[in-house]
Amino acid sequence: MTSSIQRRDLLARSLGLGAGLALSPWALAQSGPIKLGTLTPLTGAGGVYGPVMAATVKAVIDEVNAAGGVLGRQIQLVSEDDQTNPEAGVRGARKLIDVDKVAAIIGTWASSVTTAVAPLCWESKTFLCTTSGADSITALPHQGFLVRTQPNTTLQGRKFGEFALELGARRVYFVTPQTPFAQSQLASMTVAVEKGGGKVDSMIYDDKKPSLRTEVDSVIRSNPDIVVLGGYTPDTSVMLKDLYRASFKGKLLAFGYSVNQKLVDALPAEVSEGIYTLSPSSDSNSAAYKRVVEITKTASPDPYSCQTYDHVSLVILAMAAGKGATGNTIRENIRRVAQGGGEKVESALAGLKLLAAGKQINYAGASGPCDFNDIGDITDSKFRYEQVKGSKLALLKII
Amino acid sequence: MDGLLQALVNGLVSGSILTLPAMGFSAIFAVLRYPSFAIGALASVGAYAGWIANHLWGWYPEAALLMAFAVAALTGTLLEWVAIRPLEKSGALMMAVASLAASFLLENLLRFWFGNDLRGFDMPLLRDMSWGSLRVGPQQIKNMALSLAVMLCVWAFLRLSNTGRSMRAVADNPDLARLRGIRPVRVAMITVAMGSGLAGVGGMLLGLDTSIDPMTGPRLMLSIFAAAVLGGLGSIPGAVAGAMVIGIVEELTVFAISPAYRTPIGFMVILLVLSWRPSGLFLRRSEA
Repeated sequence: MTSSIQRRDLLARSLGLGAGLALSPWALAQSGPIKLGTLTPLTGAGGVYGPVMAATVKAVIDEVNAAGGVLGRQIQLVSEDDQTNPEAGVRGARKLIDVDKVAAIIGTWASSVTTAVAPLCWESKTFLCTTSGADSITALPHQGFLVRTQPNTTLQGRKFGEFALELGARRVYFVTPQTPFAQSQLASMTVAVEKGGGKVDSMIYDDKKPSLRTEVDSVIRSNPDIVVLGGYTPDTSVMLKDLYRASFKGKLLAFGYSVNQKLVDALPAEVSEGIYTLSPSSDSNSAAYKRVVEITKTASPDPYSCQTYDHVSLVILAMAAGKGATGNTIRENIRRVAQGGGEKVESALAGLKLLAAGKQINYAGASGPCDFNDIGDITDSKFRYEQVKGSKLALLKII
Repeated sequence: MDGLLQALVNGLVSGSILTLPAMGFSAIFAVLRYPSFAIGALASVGAYAGWIANHLWGWYPEAALLMAFAVAALTGTLLEWVAIRPLEKSGALMMAVASLAASFLLENLLRFWFGNDLRGFDMPLLRDMSWGSLRVGPQQIKNMALSLAVMLCVWAFLRLSNTGRSMRAVADNPDLARLRGIRPVRVAMITVAMGSGLAGVGGMLLGLDTSIDPMTGPRLMLSIFAAAVLGGLGSIPGAVAGAMVIGIVEELTVFAISPAYRTPIGFMVILLVLSWRPSGLFLRRSEA
């Protein structure tokens, strides 16, 4: 008899404990801080950008927390390093999703990383904001759990082609490592160049090679007017050195994220002189951009920090508008705060005030208007054209 | 035709850089009978040691090569003593696995201390010299000469010094060598130091022509292994010939097929050699 009571007692206590365990995360999730994650490249080819991207997100969150948080709760940021590497990116995302249970992941940079991480996000209903450009990313079946603020590579490829023609080139040579966007960029560049009467050759090279001499020999044999460099900083640096050694006399055009000030500083002046760069431009006239200038303490913040400023602001506003702190709420409300006929706001704080007053808002940020189509691509972007002059990147134009 | 000739020249240059780590790999295999996959990471260690001497302390690159040799040799010996030697009784496979683990450890320690950024030596970037349509970089010619000089030193050491002769004796027949009074542990340690040092010099030579990062050596590991297998594991002249062949074949692949297929060539060479002539192309069967 005694043992039976003990058994019942044990059963009751176990049930109580089990219920407690099962309910406590839910109870905590409703009252504890709201968790958001950054997954930026703190090391690897994107290591120049990742730390500043994460710091920008933290600065916005600190501002919002200081003003009382969102939905009456503080926001807690968890930052992981994707190492510009899909495997490390997946490990980081798993930790953010499974352990930290973040509502959104912000700032994946390399297209290969975003491609690997996106399925984990939509499967777990975690929202993903990315700065990657590969067309294939928004074509994934992400069920609306993804937006990107970087123009896709079809658009970028066309801009590369048009700019090459504008520089007087007719024979264009595109060299690139194997990336998720190499083919789409080449295809749209070829269409643009051929439309202007030019011709495009291309080569996919191995970005792990320490020397690209034989590749450069092939490029020079076809005597191009311009070489378009599609790689990241480390391999582009090797390619540029070998083009210089081979006395290549034509023009050079590269992505702004690979030929950046760090690369220019690392290479001898005569190697980098005259290289043209092209990158999606931030909206340097906006108040949001000026805030990013303050946060990053640089006169000309990189486009990715501007984009993550917008990511975190949009995520916070979407949660406030939907009155919930889940990936699903963000998915259902992000377009409500990003576009439409509401009052224009350029910061999370300003938006939160208007939302609290029951008004509609239309967020426009540091990277641009931040309006998204159905698959999560932005509908409008400007481009920034620069040239290396005297070891500094000089602005040519923004259109 | 010009392109083919240029690819051959480029292949000779990359082959000569592969030669030193491949010799180190083969020497360690000959005496200690296990494939040391730490050779790639040791090449990176040497490259960084040389970079510190050259970039931070202002040494001439030729003098910094000595530093590259010394630090890589010391690191290699330490690894052997601490991580690999205790597993001797478990067999060559365990030792190879331990060397692989050591390689990851070294690579990540370098990443921890120096970061992932590319670092260049303090050298002017010179335009290539041209003969007709053939181009060669002045630094590459210098690298080939330095590499050749190191090879000659190794050859002289193995042929003319008592320690060198002991090493060859242990490689030929360890039991007989022990009967003749040669101390195998001492010979093993000297071999590891020499092999690791050679890898270090190779890593720095590569860095002189390009730039260095923690993956500088590990990235070449497949090519080094393929060169050693091709030449016959354990044969030092074989490693030299193997490295040259691999260097040329890789560059010809870039020229004739596509740069994207360069890496699989290493695997194909290993597969073909192991299928048809497991003792390697340059090793007589009795030596295997």
